[in-house]
Amino acid sequence: MSDAVTTTMTFHPQPSAGAAKLWAFPAPERAELSNGLTVLRCHRPGQQVVAVEINLAAPLEAEPAGLDGIATIMARALSEGTDKHTAEEFAAELERCGATLDAHADHPGVRVSLEVPVSRLPKALGLLADALRAPAFPEGEVERLVRNRLDEIPHELANPARRASMALSKELFPAEARMSRPRQGTQETVEGIDAAAVRAFYETHVRPSTTTAVVVGDLTGVDLDKALAETLGTWTGGAAEPRPMAPITADDTGRVVIVDRPGAVQTQLLIGRIGADRHDRVWPAQVLGTYCLGGTLTSRLDRVLREEKGYTYGVRAFGQVLRSAAPDASGGATGAAMLAISGSVATEVTGPALEDLWKVLGTLKEEGLTDAERDVAVQNLVGVAPLKYETAAAVAGTLADQVEQHLPDDFQAQLYTRLAETGTVEATAAVVSAFPPDRLVTVLVGDASKIEEPVKALGIGEVRVIQG
Amino acid sequence: MPMGHTATEQAGSGGLTATEHRLANGLRVVLSEDHLTPVAAVCLWYDVGSRHEVKGRTGLAHLFEHLMFQGSSQVKGNGHFELVQGAGGSLNGTTSFERTNYFETMPAHQVELALWLEADRMGSLLTALDEESLENQRDVVKNERRQRYDNVPYGTAFERLVAMAYPEGHPYHHTPIGSMADLDAASLEDAREFFRTYYAPNNAVLAVVGDIDPEQTLAWIEKYFGTIPSHDGKRPPRDGTLPDVIGGQLREVVEEEVPARALMAAYRLPHDGTREADAADLALTVLGGGESSRLHNRLVRRDRTAVAAGFGLLRLAGAPSLGWLDVKTSAGVEVPDIEAAVDEELARFAEEGPTPEEMERAQAQLEREWLDRLATVGGRADELCRYAVLFGDPQLALTAVERVLQVTAEEVRAVAQARLRPDNRAVLVYEPVQGAQQADDTAEDNDAEGESAQ
Repeated sequence: MSDAVTTTMTFHPQPSAGAAKLWAFPAPERAELSNGLTVLRCHRPGQQVVAVEINLAAPLEAEPAGLDGIATIMARALSEGTDKHTAEEFAAELERCGATLDAHADHPGVRVSLEVPVSRLPKALGLLADALRAPAFPEGEVERLVRNRLDEIPHELANPARRASMALSKELFPAEARMSRPRQGTQETVEGIDAAAVRAFYETHVRPSTTTAVVVGDLTGVDLDKALAETLGTWTGGAAEPRPMAPITADDTGRVVIVDRPGAVQTQLLIGRIGADRHDRVWPAQVLGTYCLGGTLTSRLDRVLREEKGYTYGVRAFGQVLRSAAPDASGGATGAAMLAISGSVATEVTGPALEDLWKVLGTLKEEGLTDAERDVAVQNLVGVAPLKYETAAAVAGTLADQVEQHLPDDFQAQLYTRLAETGTVEATAAVVSAFPPDRLVTVLVGDASKIEEPVKALGIGEVRVIQG
Repeated sequence: MPMGHTATEQAGSGGLTATEHRLANGLRVVLSEDHLTPVAAVCLWYDVGSRHEVKGRTGLAHLFEHLMFQGSSQVKGNGHFELVQGAGGSLNGTTSFERTNYFETMPAHQVELALWLEADRMGSLLTALDEESLENQRDVVKNERRQRYDNVPYGTAFERLVAMAYPEGHPYHHTPIGSMADLDAASLEDAREFFRTYYAPNNAVLAVVGDIDPEQTLAWIEKYFGTIPSHDGKRPPRDGTLPDVIGGQLREVVEEEVPARALMAAYRLPHDGTREADAADLALTVLGGGESSRLHNRLVRRDRTAVAAGFGLLRLAGAPSLGWLDVKTSAGVEVPDIEAAVDEELARFAEEGPTPEEMERAQAQLEREWLDRLATVGGRADELCRYAVLFGDPQLALTAVERVLQVTAEEVRAVAQARLRPDNRAVLVYEPVQGAQQADDTAEDNDAEGESAQ
């Protein structure tokens, strides 16, 4: 320690930034294969792992009555054997390419994501095309996927964050709406799914003309046109009627549902409603305002709940698009986003934490955001773009989201310009209208015997306890 | 003054190179240029982790990592976060058994700010550290522990496995999150002492990777870090030497409110940095990595006794690495049935080794994982620091994938035979119990969402 005592550090003033370098969200090149399949491609130098995102126009809303979860089972069954390979062979061939293939079903449709080193892209595209073009849907494999899915359900129910998410959907949306029910089905509905039903769903909703493939990565030296023509290009299928999307409605009457978890050491909270999607011109202001409210640990919520009070490891506010349709002439929102605040707090401080949370919302409504807050938020949201989109997978994911939400290919690129143009007043108005203190549905997964009374005392709406 | 040498370009490293430098105060610096995207990562590894903690103060290294974000001489309060995020950067810190790392990924023109911030806290944290921020971050960390370990099913499994695989008194016996009691006991003086002992330029490696001008970057590093005094206060961690194998099967049965029975196990494996560790990685990949692995095919596909079955590898340099088996059973299946099938598969593998096709698949998977790690400037900076801190040579990061590809099937078989055996494992069995008020009344709320809310 003797050196440390005798010498001290020389301090320098905080440095200023150098000259910013230009960066723009990449513009994809759009084309159509002869079978009507849409392709977006994007060359990203240096990205040796290529990302391929497939959008299938098979929304959850299209699932037959009583068979919730069939889109999920179909998505998983795509990789369980084809006209060329058995299920085990298919998995082996894919991994031999060093590839990963994931598929999942959500409200807007089914997404299939392939990631593979560029040297093995053509071969992996062949396997992907087989899975889409000629899935075998073997009875035994589908039956296994159904049983496996049934085994997963108790694990999801036990997870506090997922349990909260299900309870909120059930509260917000009308019982007849698909959005009120679990995306991957319930025990009752999944039990009724078999190979014949999966094939029927596939044949009705999956075809090249309604499919989009997004390919992103370092495509130097890759003859992508040839690779696509020989793989996805060989898929045949007819045209499809456009499927209109039902309007999304939700009941955001202020109220509280406690999902009882006796003995839980924390309360999982999820407080939400629905609001504008990306088609609405308020979107950039909503993004900006929501970031100021709860985008990071220096945002308003964590500044109090975490950094002042220590009630939580972190609470976040976010907006996540549920589903959007193609815009009509009038403009404006075509669908909806889930707007929510999520996190977990120690059981014994659940009441005080919610009280503070509502105080933060109240102050925001009364006093608005500051210019300094707005500036930092814009600098962060715009400035992190080149970091956020370093990998091929990140770029492909956003491009596929845009396709799925019927947005123009340059939406994300334009969003950064629009964020920079959004003022403090607009951001305040957007976030206040997104999170009105008296129009929020609160779900708490926690120990009702300890939290029910303190929560009732807050007056944030009727409190109901359901079994965990 | 800084001294540097340029490495020759390494085959298989995607054309990446790195240069090494050392300041007079002992700070080691690694620079790697890549101008494809206007971003750069600043990554700082301190050679201190939970293995350096003493009895009664578990969790101190991690709690301390939180305190590093609470301000220093020229940075007020949450200024570190505010300044980085306001500059369009992202940042974090993490603590493991063997090291603590801090990283900022910045737009290229903001790199100097990140260096200034890291230097300020390396040199002057104690001038700002106070009781108030300690009390606050103690509560935050206790909530982190609740959220990630205590309030989720199987949340304490890793902690329990580690505690069995590394015996009482061993530096790796406890995990970085620490115990609630020890977190409560940590004092301001403990935190100060921890900083004085381990946070010094000569106990750290700084990597800057991305769209940088190396000469300018090095000049900034010299300017901001060059006058931070070095010291030799560091105490080495307690000896982590253990026999290669446990020498008997350890076992713990947990009866808890979990959704399904589970069989987990920890196997002692070769130290990170050895060829045997790469062979073990390949063995675990063939046996339990991905959808074409032996355990997945056997338990999930054919026997249909498991929801999920797989192996993970925790690479450790200062103690034996840990192979983690995790099997969640299907409804109605008993653990002994699973265990018998696992033993049969491991025994067969130890005898026959991988097939050529399995080797090809496992090597292709590990190669892609490695390319993923190197796809971002942050991932690359972290790997360069890792090899510099743990193995004394950052250049090894650029050739790691080649080493995995050189391992032979016979080496994979040999490590499986030597290590993946019943007398070298700690077994953890979960048996579900119903909570007092957990009636069967789930029909009404029997929902399952496809994604978490955050």
